[in-house]
This record gives sequence, structure tokens and C-alpha cells, in this order.
Amino acid sequence: MKKKKAAVRRKGARAAGTRTRKKGAARAAKKGASRGSRKAQPRRRGRRLGVILSLVLILGAFCGGLALSRWVLELDDIVVARFEGRTFSLPSRVFSAPLVLYPGADWQRLGLADWLLRLGYREQPEGGRLGPGRYEWLPGALRVHLRSFDHPARSEPARELLFRFAEGQVIEIEDLRDPQAVDVVILEPEPVSAFLGTDREQRDLVRVDEVPPHLIDAIFAVEDQRFAAHHGVDGRRVLGAVLANLQAGRIRQGASTLTQQLVKNFFLTPERTFSRKLREAVMALIVEARYSKSEILEAYLNEIYLGQRGATAVHGVGEASRLYFGKSAQSLTVAEAALLAAIIQSPNGISPHRRPERAVTRRDLVLGLMRDQGRISNRAHREALAEPLRLATIQTESGEVRYFLDALSQQLPEVYAGEVLTSEGLRIYTTLDPRMQRAAARALRRGLERIEASVPETKAKDSVPANRLQGCLIAMRPQTGEVLALVGGRDYGESQFNRCTQARRQVGSAFKPFVYVAALDPANGPVVTLASLIPDEPFEVTVPGEEGFWRPENYDRSFRGPVSVREALERSLNVPAARLGQRVGMERVVELAHRLGISSPLIPVPSLALGTAEISPLELTRAYATLANGGRRPAPRMFVDVVEKNGIAQESQPLEAAVPVLDPATAYLAVSLLEGVVDRGTARRIRSAGLKGPIAAKTGTTDDEYDLWFVGFTPELVAVVWVGFDEPGPVGMPSSRGALPIWAEFVGEVSGSQIRGRFPQPGGISRLEIDPKSGARALRGCSSRKTEIFLQGTEPLETCPPSPAKDGSKGGFRRTLRRLFGRE
Amino acid sequence: MRLRPRRIKLATRDFGFGSALATLGFIGWMVAGCAGPAKPPAAAIEPIRVSKALGLGDPARQASTRLVVQGLDADEAGQIQRARGSYERALQVDPTNPYAYLALARHALDVGEPNDAIDFIEQAAALFEAEGLRQPEVGVHLIGLRAQAFEVAGRTEESELYFETAAEMAPHIWQDGSLSATELR
Repeated sequence: MKKKKAAVRRKGARAAGTRTRKKGAARAAKKGASRGSRKAQPRRRGRRLGVILSLVLILGAFCGGLALSRWVLELDDIVVARFEGRTFSLPSRVFSAPLVLYPGADWQRLGLADWLLRLGYREQPEGGRLGPGRYEWLPGALRVHLRSFDHPARSEPARELLFRFAEGQVIEIEDLRDPQAVDVVILEPEPVSAFLGTDREQRDLVRVDEVPPHLIDAIFAVEDQRFAAHHGVDGRRVLGAVLANLQAGRIRQGASTLTQQLVKNFFLTPERTFSRKLREAVMALIVEARYSKSEILEAYLNEIYLGQRGATAVHGVGEASRLYFGKSAQSLTVAEAALLAAIIQSPNGISPHRRPERAVTRRDLVLGLMRDQGRISNRAHREALAEPLRLATIQTESGEVRYFLDALSQQLPEVYAGEVLTSEGLRIYTTLDPRMQRAAARALRRGLERIEASVPETKAKDSVPANRLQGCLIAMRPQTGEVLALVGGRDYGESQFNRCTQARRQVGSAFKPFVYVAALDPANGPVVTLASLIPDEPFEVTVPGEEGFWRPENYDRSFRGPVSVREALERSLNVPAARLGQRVGMERVVELAHRLGISSPLIPVPSLALGTAEISPLELTRAYATLANGGRRPAPRMFVDVVEKNGIAQESQPLEAAVPVLDPATAYLAVSLLEGVVDRGTARRIRSAGLKGPIAAKTGTTDDEYDLWFVGFTPELVAVVWVGFDEPGPVGMPSSRGALPIWAEFVGEVSGSQIRGRFPQPGGISRLEIDPKSGARALRGCSSRKTEIFLQGTEPLETCPPSPAKDGSKGGFRRTLRRLFGRE
Repeated sequence: MRLRPRRIKLATRDFGFGSALATLGFIGWMVAGCAGPAKPPAAAIEPIRVSKALGLGDPARQASTRLVVQGLDADEAGQIQRARGSYERALQVDPTNPYAYLALARHALDVGEPNDAIDFIEQAAALFEAEGLRQPEVGVHLIGLRAQAFEVAGRTEESELYFETAAEMAPHIWQDGSLSATELR
């Protein structure tokens, strides 16, 4: 029992000892814990912190990954949208009518030399074999290798021709490849302008398989040697650039691949920040992952910025080839290709036009790289180095052509409105004659300056367009209605208001011919013949709805007594015109004016006979074109074909026949009257300006000389000039001094001083000697006489000297017949 | 081979008694102008060919006529667009060339535009007359083309009247009721 108790004690003691030790350990631990603020506790906290940090990191990485993924996906969306949507916004290009040359043509007046420059043809002074787009002036001749061109109506093949000249004319055209005389040559239409978007970028798309390999090699050599090997970002090149830049202590060398450059141009702004670079790199990787090298290269070739044509940015090698070399990218030589690749770095800093030496130096550098990289042979390298820099002349667009474009966009069917024109890359073939357009712009500008110099009050004191003297000139082919030139103001940049098509102004005496034609028209009687006498004496007429009377006066406020119809119009007398209007009836005048082509509303008040109606220059041009065209009214026509960028014709406006609206013989009387205005009347300054041949015209000056008009035509051209202020004010001179000289300068330049052809005389016209004082048929013994034309059957019955017996019998019978048939 | 009209626009004009009178008048005028004051020609005539006019006129007219011939060649080859382009260039060089309007009238019938054809015929007639070319050799085509235009426009009676006259004047051309580009060339 004692043993048991002793064992229990020992056990207890051991247990107590254990407890004691445990207690000691606990104490020690407590002690340790009390020291633990410095040792064990931080470890635990560190672990906890580690866990938390790990969690945060994991969470952060997860969130970051999510954000990154989202960012990358966003970038991917941007890339896909741009690449798979419509990649490029292509402005629609506008082309002129083709130029036609033939033996006997005045090649200087037709502007052949200008045409060569404008189409980017390059002179090859050293002779030898000419490639397409090259020419060589020889004594009395021109050798030219015409490029082929596509045209929806009539395409032409490439041909090498020799033009021989003598006395300003083409005397012979010879085909050098197929030796034979050529009767007529159609030259490529000029690209006159484009419907640019707000970015004002112009490009001519190329396919990668169309581009010559040496152009691609040149670009690779200088911009991205390892294009085929990298995945959007060239790590090796980045490293090299970093080292080079570190050594230099500044940024000297870039490492952008073509893909990165494309991404930068396509999607990003040009600022140089790390975030932008990062975006660029990621997007480049996405582009490379999604698209083939060929697709990327093609996009690059069409997107890269390569210089300026005036205010228009030139993008892509296609457009740049035309800008610098006047030819397509397909036909670039090795040296030319190297030059294009050379200027990618800084298109304006190394511009071949402005800094040819720098451009050539860098071109040679590119050629050296090409040789060193084995892309061209030593021989090709030598030949390219020896090639002189031959640049095409930059053809910047003249601002005035924009007026034509605005009018054109109004005439195009509605489907071609707005963005379609600026982005679909259409080719629009027009009726514009670029030579006439330039001449019209020049004549108008000079004419307005002359007026300002001669009447200083017309010169604006400020730059507000409404305060500047303005003008408009429009030219049309009367037989076809083709608008050949249209300048709607003196400066498109200053004012886009098109005074040819949008302005409606009082036309003054330019309206009078419609009164006379209405009176001569057999459909209205006729009321008069050209020999009829009208009293130029005071008269008054009541105006419906108004109190009192309207009393017309002549320009010089004098009266001449009886005057012939012809003289009244030649001298543009108001009183006879007003009387005639009353005799024929203003409703008939209005009806006739509408028939001829005036579409503006006309109120048949008595003063309309003197031109109080407001009409646009385009309408007036059309109405006079109807007279010039033997009474057949043409439809104004500005475009001929619209072709899609893939070459498929989308829209055509075939030539429409002019519609007969007036008896041809009556139209001929009108032409004859208006010829008299030029030969003897208010437009006789045309003759003193040196223009000879068939010209018919009419002046028009409104009250207080607010609007000056001049309308004139030849057998092949009708042109209208208007001069005035947008906010009506006096010009300070009549039309014959203000508008006429502009017309004369324009027509003299485009037609030459000797106008071709004659006004065709239709049937139904008779010529008769008359006594101008009485309008009677002149017999032997009549003291004065002149030849006058009449519609057959309207010849005067009275004679000079009077022959009562004859008149009494024969005239009486005829008169009876005429009464029966409503002629009197 | 002659091309058949692609599209036919029916004339929308109102043709009544006046129109019939005009038809007779036109034939009378042409026949009178062609054959002189008394009666129509007894023997068949050889109508004009554009190629015969190639060397006539000033340089612009000659070039214009050359382009008309090229247009007729294109029409004959079925190249409608090229033919149109050639006629338009012909008028660009000389807008008063009656041969161009004659060829355009024929071309307008090929593409089914009888109203345009009639207006082109009138323009050609006026210009031929102004140039003193009011001869049966010219007139027969003007009459025949009018007949064709009226036929396409559905104006059968007038058409028959004109056809008869044209076929009588130049049976070897107008017996089949049409004028091919080659026949005009």
C-alpha cells in the first residue's frame, strides 16, 4: 500500500515534474512571448502578410489580367473593325472630258503642252526609246508615248506618236509603232479634282501583287528588313535601338516595324509617350496574329503618308507615284522606288520637290542598303544611282473648279450624296473642259480686278465676301448642253456660294430678246418682223394691282421716234421693248421664256419686258443655248459616267437630243438680231476686242448698275458673265464695260480671234431689200436700202417708193389672204 | 449583224391630226427637196455614206467625221459604249456635224430611244439643209430613220408611210426596214 502510494507519488511527482517543466516551458514561452514582439510575432505576421500579399497579388493579377484582357480585346475590336470594315476612305475622283487632237488643230490653243504636264508626262530630253508617259520635243514636232487609259465610253491603248507642227497647227500625226498617218487622237481625261472627306486625304489604291518587287524591297531595306520574320514587334531591333540610343544619350534610332508604323497611322495619334508605344506594340502583335503578311503589307502600301499636294495629304504608294513621277506605281523604276522608300521617314523634310539634293542623298542610301542586303545586283545599283531625278510637275487643284464640283454634286443622282462621294472611290467623268475652266477663272479674276481698278468704290474695304465685287462665268455647248466651264465666284476659299447656279438676279436687258422672239414667233402671229417700226415715244401703261402708271424710259432718257425692231434691240432701247411686250402680251413672253429654258417663276408684269425677273446664270445660258441651237433646247449636262472603284460603270448620262421648242427660222431671226447687237449695237466692243466671225450677244445692265450681264454665243459655244455684289450695290459701269471684256477675253482665249463656223440658216427664211426708214420693200428708186431677213410669208407688202396701184391690187389681195390665215 | 433595241421607251407624245399632217408635210418636204420641185425620183438612189464625207470640210469637220466612222464601226461590232464615246467626241470637235446626228439617231434606235432618235433626225435634217445638202441621198435616210423611230415608238401608221417612201427611194437599203451601221458607214 505504501509502495502503491509511493509509486503514485512518484508518478505524481513525475507528472508534477512534467507539469513543472510544462509550466516552466509555458513560462519560458510566456517569457519568449514577452520577448516575441521582437522575434516570433513578426514571423507569424510576416506569414500572414505574405498570405495577404499573395492573395492581393493573385487578386491583382486576376483583376489586372481581366483588365489587360479587356484592353487587348478592345484593341482587337478596333483592329478588326478597321481591317475588316472598309479599310480606306477613298475620295471620288472627277475627270474632265478627253482632249481630241487631229491634223489642222491648233495645238497651242488646245493646250497640248499643258496637258502633258498636267497628266504627269515627263520630258526625256536625251531622246532614245520612250517609255509610256514620256515625251520629247523635237524641232517642229513632239514625240510622245501615250499611256493607255480606261474610259467607260471609249478606252484607248498606249501608242507612241509623232506630232508634226507648223504655224501653230498639227499638220500630221504618225503612229511610230505602226507607221501610218493617224486622223484623230483622243487624249486621256485630266483628273481635275476629287470629293475629299474632312481628312483631305487622297490615295490611289494598289494591290500588293501589282506593285513592282523592287518597290517592296526598297521599303523593306530601309524600314523593316526582318518583316517576314517578326511577329509585329522586332525584339532584336528593339534591343539594338535601345543600345544605340543609350550610347548616344538620346533617341537616335527607332525600331518600329512596318506593322507598328501601320498601326500608328491607322489607329493612333503621333505623340511619343510610353503608353502610346505600348498600345502600338500590342496592336501590332494583334494585327500580325490576325492577318497575313501580305494583307498587312498591302494595307501599309496604301496607308503610309508620303507628302502633300497643296492642302491635300497624299497617302499610299499609288498616289505618291502619281504625285512625284506622274505614273502608276506599277511602272516605277528601281531608282524611283528607292526614292519613295527614302521619303517615308520624313515626306516633307525630304520632299523631292523642295529638297531634291536631300532626297537624292537618301535615295542613294536606300539603294546602297538594297544592294548590301542582296535585294538588287551591283549593276542595278549602279544604273539606279546614275538615274537623274525626273519629277512630274505638281498639279495643285485650282480652287475655282470646286464651284463646278458643287454644281456637279447637285446634278448627280441622290444616291451619290455626301459620304458616298467622299469615301467610295468613284470615278466621275464629266463634261468639263479644263482649258476653258482655267481660262474662265482667269478672265473673271482679271475682269473683276480691272473693274476695281477703274471704279475704286467697288474695292472692298474689308475681307467680308459679301462686300467684295463678285462674278460668275458659265460656258455651255449649245447643241448638247454640256457644261464646259463654270466659275461661280472669284475665290472659292472665301465664298462657296455658287453665283452661276444658286444666285437669282435681275437680268435687265438680257431678257429683252425673249420679248422680241415672242413677237417674231409665228405661233404668236407673228406680231412684228425685223423691219417693223416701233415708236420710241413716251407711253404709259397701267400695272394691275398698282396705282398710277408705269412709264418706261430709255437708258439715256431720250426718245428716237419710230425705230425698227432690229435697231431697237441692237441699241437695247427700253421703250420699244416695253411696247412690244404689251403688243405681244406678257403671258406669251413668259410662256416663251419658259419654253426656251428659264425655270424661275416669271410674273407677267409690263416691266418684265425690261428684265425685272430674277434668273440664275445657268438658266439664262440654257435659254440662249436654245436660240443658238436653232430653237432646240438642250438639257444641261455635267457628268457623263460614274464608275465604281472596281471599274464597273454605275451610272451613265448619255447625250440627250435637244428638244425642239421654237421654230428654227424664228430662232435664226433671233440669232441674226443678236449678231447685229455685236456688229452695230451695245456689244460692238466685242469687235474692237479683236474677235471676228459669227458672234451673237446681248448686254444687260440693271437699274443703278447693280447687275452687269453679258450673254453671247458662237455656233459652238454659249457663255454668260454676271458681275455684281452679293448684297446688291452699284458696280459703277455698264455691262459693255464691265462684263463684256470678261466674255471677250474668255472666248478669245478658248476659240481664238477667228471664230469657227457659221450659224446655220434653216429653211423658211427669205432675204429682201427694204427701206430701213419705213420698213417697206425697196424698189428701184428707193433712196436708202438694206437687206433684211424675214420668215417666208411675212415680207412687207408696202413698197418704197410707194406704188398705190400695185399695192392697191396685189397687196390688198395678199393682205386679205394674210388676214384669213391669221397673219395680221 | 444589226443590234436589236435593248430598251424601248414608248413615245409619250400626243399624235393626232396635226402629227399626221406633219408626217405628210415632212415627206413632201423631203421628197420635194430631194427630187426637185416636181416629182420623186423614178430610179433608186444611192444614199449617202459617212465615209464619203471623210475628206470634206475644215480640219475639225474632217476629224469629227472620222470619229463618226469609228463610232459606226464600233456600233457594227456591238460596242455600244465605244460607239457612244466616238459620237460624243465627234460632237466635241464639231457640234454642227450633221453626220454625227445622223449616226446618233441610228444609234439611239439601237438602244431603244426613239424619241431621242427623232430629235437627232430633226437636228441632222436642219444641219444638212443649212449646209445645202438637201438631196435625196440624204433625205432617204432621214425618212427611213423616222420610219424606224415611229415603229419603235408604236406609231405604226406614220411608220408605214415613211417606210414605203424610203423603200421606194433606196430599196436595197430600206427594204428590210432598218439601216445598219455598215450601210451608213
